Amino acid sequence: MAVISRTLCLTLLLALVALFSASSSSSLSSSFVAHAQPQQDSEALLQKKVSRLEAKASKNKGIIQLDSLAFEDVMAKPRNYSMVVLFTAISPEFNCVPCQNFDPEYKMVAAGWSKLANKSQLFFSVLDFKAGQAIFQKFGMNSAPSVLYFPASTSISHDPSQDRYDFGKSGFQAEPFAEWLQSRSGVKVKVQRPFDFMGLAIKVLGTFTAVFAAAVFAKKGRKIFSSKYFWSTVSLITIFVMISGHMWNQIRQPPYSVPNRDGRSGFIAQGFQNQFGLETQIVAVLYSLLTAATIGLIAVVPRIENPFGQRTAVWVCMGMFTFTFSVLIQIFRIKNPSYPFTLMFR
Amino acid sequence: MSTESPSTIAKVLKPTILILIAIVAISSRLFSIIRFESVIHEFDPWFNYRTTQHLVKNGFYDFWNWFDEKSWYPLGRVVGGTVYPGIMVTSALIHNVLHFFNFPVDIRNVCVFLAPMFSGLTAFSAYLLTKELKDSSAGLLAAAFLGVAPGYISRSVAGSYDNEGIAIFLLVFTFYLWIKAVKTGSAFFGLLTALFYFYMVSAWGGYVFITNLVPLHAFTLLLMGRFSNRLYVSYSTFYAVGTLLSMQIPFVGFQPTRTSEHMAALGVFGLLQLYAFAELIRGYIPPKQFQTLLKGGIAAVAIIAAVGLTILSFSGVIAPFTGRFYSLYDTGYAKIHIPIIASVSEHQPTAWTSFFFDLQMLIFLFPAGVYLCFKELKDEHVFIILYSVFASYFAGVMVRLMLTLTPVVCVSAAIAYSTLLDTYLETSKHVLAVTSPDATAIAAPVDVTPEVKPAGNGAGTGSKKAAAKAAAAAAAAAKTPAKSADTDAKAQAKAAAAASGKKRYPIFNFDSRALVVLQLTWFLFMFAWHCTYVTSGSYSSPSIVLASRQQDGSQMIIDDFREAYYWLRKNTKEDAKVMSWWDYGYQMAGMANVTTLVDNNTWNNTHIATVGKAMSTSEEVSYKVLRQHDVDYVLILFGGVIGYSGDDINKFLWMIRIAEGVYPNDVKEANFFTPRGEYKVDHDATKTMKESLMYKMSYYRFAELYGGGNAVDHVRSARMPAEGPTLSVLEEAYTTENWLVRIYKVKDLDILGRDLKDSTAFDKGKVRKVSSLKRK
Repeated sequence: MAVISRTLCLTLLLALVALFSASSSSSLSSSFVAHAQPQQDSEALLQKKVSRLEAKASKNKGIIQLDSLAFEDVMAKPRNYSMVVLFTAISPEFNCVPCQNFDPEYKMVAAGWSKLANKSQLFFSVLDFKAGQAIFQKFGMNSAPSVLYFPASTSISHDPSQDRYDFGKSGFQAEPFAEWLQSRSGVKVKVQRPFDFMGLAIKVLGTFTAVFAAAVFAKKGRKIFSSKYFWSTVSLITIFVMISGHMWNQIRQPPYSVPNRDGRSGFIAQGFQNQFGLETQIVAVLYSLLTAATIGLIAVVPRIENPFGQRTAVWVCMGMFTFTFSVLIQIFRIKNPSYPFTLMFR
Repeated sequence: MSTESPSTIAKVLKPTILILIAIVAISSRLFSIIRFESVIHEFDPWFNYRTTQHLVKNGFYDFWNWFDEKSWYPLGRVVGGTVYPGIMVTSALIHNVLHFFNFPVDIRNVCVFLAPMFSGLTAFSAYLLTKELKDSSAGLLAAAFLGVAPGYISRSVAGSYDNEGIAIFLLVFTFYLWIKAVKTGSAFFGLLTALFYFYMVSAWGGYVFITNLVPLHAFTLLLMGRFSNRLYVSYSTFYAVGTLLSMQIPFVGFQPTRTSEHMAALGVFGLLQLYAFAELIRGYIPPKQFQTLLKGGIAAVAIIAAVGLTILSFSGVIAPFTGRFYSLYDTGYAKIHIPIIASVSEHQPTAWTSFFFDLQMLIFLFPAGVYLCFKELKDEHVFIILYSVFASYFAGVMVRLMLTLTPVVCVSAAIAYSTLLDTYLETSKHVLAVTSPDATAIAAPVDVTPEVKPAGNGAGTGSKKAAAKAAAAAAAAAKTPAKSADTDAKAQAKAAAAASGKKRYPIFNFDSRALVVLQLTWFLFMFAWHCTYVTSGSYSSPSIVLASRQQDGSQMIIDDFREAYYWLRKNTKEDAKVMSWWDYGYQMAGMANVTTLVDNNTWNNTHIATVGKAMSTSEEVSYKVLRQHDVDYVLILFGGVIGYSGDDINKFLWMIRIAEGVYPNDVKEANFFTPRGEYKVDHDATKTMKESLMYKMSYYRFAELYGGGNAVDHVRSARMPAEGPTLSVLEEAYTTENWLVRIYKVKDLDILGRDLKDSTAFDKGKVRKVSSLKRK
């Protein structure tokens, strides 16, 4: 699940709390600092705040960068506008890949919103962990990115799970996010993906190269495509990739490996129905070694004319087979500790 | 005499071995019967069993037109039109035949033993299939492998009365007949293929695999330039007859002409006709004109096909891929769009451990077998290669499709294993040419003609020209007619030439032979142990009767499910409607004979979501739903007392997710998670969680079991609050011995017209607060 990868980011994130706690409060106290104002002209003040926010938003393509102080100011009651806040940790030291993935998508929706007529009804803002640690703690955020929606003129909800965008279910794309927003605000945001000139150029260039290469190497290419060595390689690789559980990785997106903890090996996942990326690669290599040994015994050994050489080859192949099989069983026993059979190792 | 005796022995040995394999295959599937009793397992088998009973009792026509008003209340279900009737008809037929000969066998026993019996037949068809690919010794190995491979046993133990039990036999046998048809080019075998294809269509939705694999095979052969009249005859017979027959199954209906899954078969059929037509014309027109005609023809056909397909698919005549099928290609599709498919555990992707668990050493002998198929590469080997590649992809995407992979793994591992044995047991001093017996005849003389060698070496690089040259040379050397137009003969000669290019020697040293053969035998033993271990430990549990070990090591049988269903059967009125999550629908209908709202035939997502909503909302909201659907009882599974992890609280998230898909305003998944994003049932559980009907039903009076205090949920290892939830719209009707199943009765409306919450409070002696009175 996506939650796992997010939790990973957060482990790092929380670890860095102490590091930044000193620096963050002093930095970035922008123009949002609340001034003491008399009650009677709160209406005018609100108007002022909205126009200030508008200016801020229009400067930055519809996005308002917040810090702890600014957040409190923006959220302060009364409020005739709704807020969407993206809690993120975009700095590279947090290594939060989902944050970086979602960032452009979020910006896209915000940009789409800023083109609407009633744009002051809702503001998009970003609160980075570096700038707004206190708010992260206040909301008990232990994972990033998170998107919260605050409807107009209510106090800050103390139960942030109430209107949290569910990344696990909806994913990191702009379209479902815009849909979610529509269900909250009632306004449809059109997501306009910027036209990917670079991608188009690469595609056109690629096609030309392919056609050109096909024209030049037509004879050779035909040879390759009618060669059974080519096809047998392709088929065998496909089979090895599939039987070592690659599709599981494709669908579940597990981490490639986890760092060593309390002496446990980090590349084999605990649990029978769980696996890491590296683990499947190891298994694929073991399988191919075993298959290679079998093919060696069938196809290579009988071609050796010299009896001594042949004997050596048989012993090497069989040794490799037995050893690899034992390793495989051993790995399987890590996954399924109650498995009773072993080969070479206990 | 001495030359004849091995073959005489072999003639006796082969059937004996096959019979022994069948006995082993059947008896290894009987663990559950010996341990428990002759009982139908799990969920879906209960539906099949119930319909079979109906079929036996009321006859075929009544079964065909059966409208089952006891399921999907109040919608009902047209059973005859929504089932694959193959398995029911098969067992009814066996039952009737046995009764005709005065063997009074109960239909339940026929159903329980059907899958093991068919596994014997599957082993036999694996023998036939492999015999076509290599020889009968490989066939025997394949039969033995498939007989005991856990990947197949998982769905065919005694009592597992499900479609797959007979479908795997049909799959393998249909493939055997198809290969036989392609090899012989006989319309008879094509027809047999079609007939067994029909049987397969009537038995399992997995027939789509055949519908796509066979055309793919034909298409690949076409691309390889191996079009032959044999292929034309066999495919045309198979497609025409098979499609017409398959449309006789109401559940399939006109799908073969309208859905995308079946289009490949139609397309290849058309392509073969065109190709054959072009071949015909070629014989009558000069080559130059033929070239022009061919180019024009191809262009015209391509344009017509493209335009036609576009029009048809845009106008909706050809339906797009069905969801279940589509999720095989776009693996993220189901998760977002069809949670009900994603929620089924057998639709999950396969971890590598499952492959090893189900196939052990076969899984790495399997690629070696595929490699050997590439070495031979006759028409039938092309089939096995395609089958291997596609089945391994599908098995990777869905655990359940491991079942379709298992046969090809067994066949191709058997080819590898038997080639190993051939190589290391061959005692003759002669130089071995190739292992294939047909090619030996041609290759043997080639070996002694030295001038062929260079050409033969050239063939090794895969060049077509060199191969043709070598083929011609080989044919000339062997004094066979060189100008054979048949592509098959050419392919054989090519294989022979390629093999002759590299000389093969026997294994010189005795110790090398002994090492390999003894090791391999030892691995066979390990394989057998592994299979027995897996079958006995993992695949032989009926799941309606559970067994667990007590601390002193004695076995404890947990029979709560049957206890609860029996209670329902005996204590509720005839037409009582019982609501439960869909997993238990078939069991309830089969064992308790009550009317259910949803069951394992998950055809109506909205209805399932309604049940999910009733489970996951507060009492007030769900009471309305319960009343609207005339629900009398609610049944849930609760494993907290004995630590049974497959209970409803653990499935609850899926109910919420599915309900949210249809009722996003009433149910919100996020509300069931604590602010820290955890799924909790103890003190930290969210308000929504604590108020949900499922939570209340599960933990109602749970703390009392522990005398207040220290109540511990053993599944989620959570310490529960001493003050348990209260129920006002339901009352506890029955809870089984180990609390595994809890049944609640839905209260009637209050006779004084009060709110049920208030009346419950009143009964408990609590006085209503004045403020709440005022509000009213």
